[in-house]
Amino acid sequence: MINSLFFVLKEAAAGLVRARFAGFVATVTVAISLVLIGIFLIITVNLGRFADNLRSRVELEVFLDDSLDEIRIQELAEKIKRFEGVAEVTFISKEMAVYEYQSLFKEKQQDYFEVLGYNPLPASFRVKLAEGYRNFAGAENLFKHLSAMSEIDEEDIVYRREFLVTLEKYMKVALAADFVVGVILCLSALLLVSNNIRLIILTREKIIETMKLVGATRFFVRMPLYIQGVIEGVLGGALAALFLYALIKLAEFEIAGYIVVDWRIYLMLVNLGLLLGLAGSFSAIRRYL
Amino acid sequence: MPATLVKLHNVRMRYANGDGLDHVNLEMAPGDFVYLVGPTGAGKSTVLKMIYMQEFPNEGYVLVDNYNSMYIKNKEIPHLRRKLGIIFQDFKLLEDRDVFENVAFALRVIGTRRRDIKKKTLRALAEVGLSHKSRKMPHELSGGEQQRVAIARAIVNDPILLLADEPTGNLDPKTAVEIMNILEKLHARGTAILMATHNYELVNSSTRRLVSIKHGRTLN
Repeated sequence: MINSLFFVLKEAAAGLVRARFAGFVATVTVAISLVLIGIFLIITVNLGRFADNLRSRVELEVFLDDSLDEIRIQELAEKIKRFEGVAEVTFISKEMAVYEYQSLFKEKQQDYFEVLGYNPLPASFRVKLAEGYRNFAGAENLFKHLSAMSEIDEEDIVYRREFLVTLEKYMKVALAADFVVGVILCLSALLLVSNNIRLIILTREKIIETMKLVGATRFFVRMPLYIQGVIEGVLGGALAALFLYALIKLAEFEIAGYIVVDWRIYLMLVNLGLLLGLAGSFSAIRRYL
Repeated sequence: MPATLVKLHNVRMRYANGDGLDHVNLEMAPGDFVYLVGPTGAGKSTVLKMIYMQEFPNEGYVLVDNYNSMYIKNKEIPHLRRKLGIIFQDFKLLEDRDVFENVAFALRVIGTRRRDIKKKTLRALAEVGLSHKSRKMPHELSGGEQQRVAIARAIVNDPILLLADEPTGNLDPKTAVEIMNILEKLHARGTAILMATHNYELVNSSTRRLVSIKHGRTLN
């Protein structure tokens, strides 16, 4: 068994040396594709973070009728807290509403209240959505539950419906574009690895023919080719990870605070390289061997 | 070992260009030496390919040792080939490795233990008289020597049958005789040999069994 493995590894190394130029080109192309995929991934992750951040600020504001007393307000808050997708319910009294109003519009507001002689602002609940519900569907679902309550009128519930719809629409487009670009880049890398393995098969035609004639099993014939594909893929992945790391280090000053880069992305690039190498070998072996 | 080593029964096979075999029959017992003679394109190589199961009949069947072309599974073919030795007119040596490695290659790819590889390879090289050139590269050898390396590679795994496809086709008459002497020696040791050739001169001087093939038909 050890002899067999040693032989297979030696043949794989010999194959790589023989088709070294094509192998180099394939490795570099895999690396370039993976760098682009890496950049797209970082952009996507951060876009997601940004969208999550915006979504976390989304809340439903429920204006309360002045006739509701403190006990009923308390009961209402408890009821709302029990709804699916509710993270937090904050009560804003009429006085707090005035205070907020004044801090928002600093000038002349006192005059406004002095003219009326009473506080026209209603008390309200601010309902924050729980994680997983901070989207249009979650907000709309809660909106329906709230408007079904006898104490609350539908028009007294306010939330940034259009904002959520637009955000989700743009996120969908961004993710779809990301997916398409990712698939195109993966396919091009796959084709190049596959083509290089085809070249290796051509340069090793005589060896492969001899192997078959003297009774080598499929394992012996194919394994060196799989190993070559995997080595090219992993090297391409490692090269991409190194390049991306250097790129991010260089741009650290400019992007700090805006963009977060998870170290697992480097590991993912190497794994993706491995998968591309394996898939490229598989497709070439299936077609040309 | 079964009484019949090789049997081609009413084998019919067509290539896309129309060539092929037409109801070919051939039978060999263990230890036989048979010449398969016929002009170029008569179907000699196809018969050999049928025996090492690179090609399969459209009709009839091929039996080699205990393997039947009708029932053999793809994964069994390497195991059949390990029982055969095959040599060709163009030697099919690997140019990137020396004589020893060319012969040892046949053992390495079937997972033979390292200790046995050395012993068997040296024995096979001695058998063909090339022990002193084991570290030479193929291009440093004459045509006759290259064919001897190919024979050493074919016999290194102690085959029950040696298939020789025009083994003297690329050699001068004197070297061809040398190669024939080696094949005779292997036969005397008990190895069955099926040799395809169009060299009638070589065959006429021999007393061995002869099977003629013309236009894909055998004429015993």
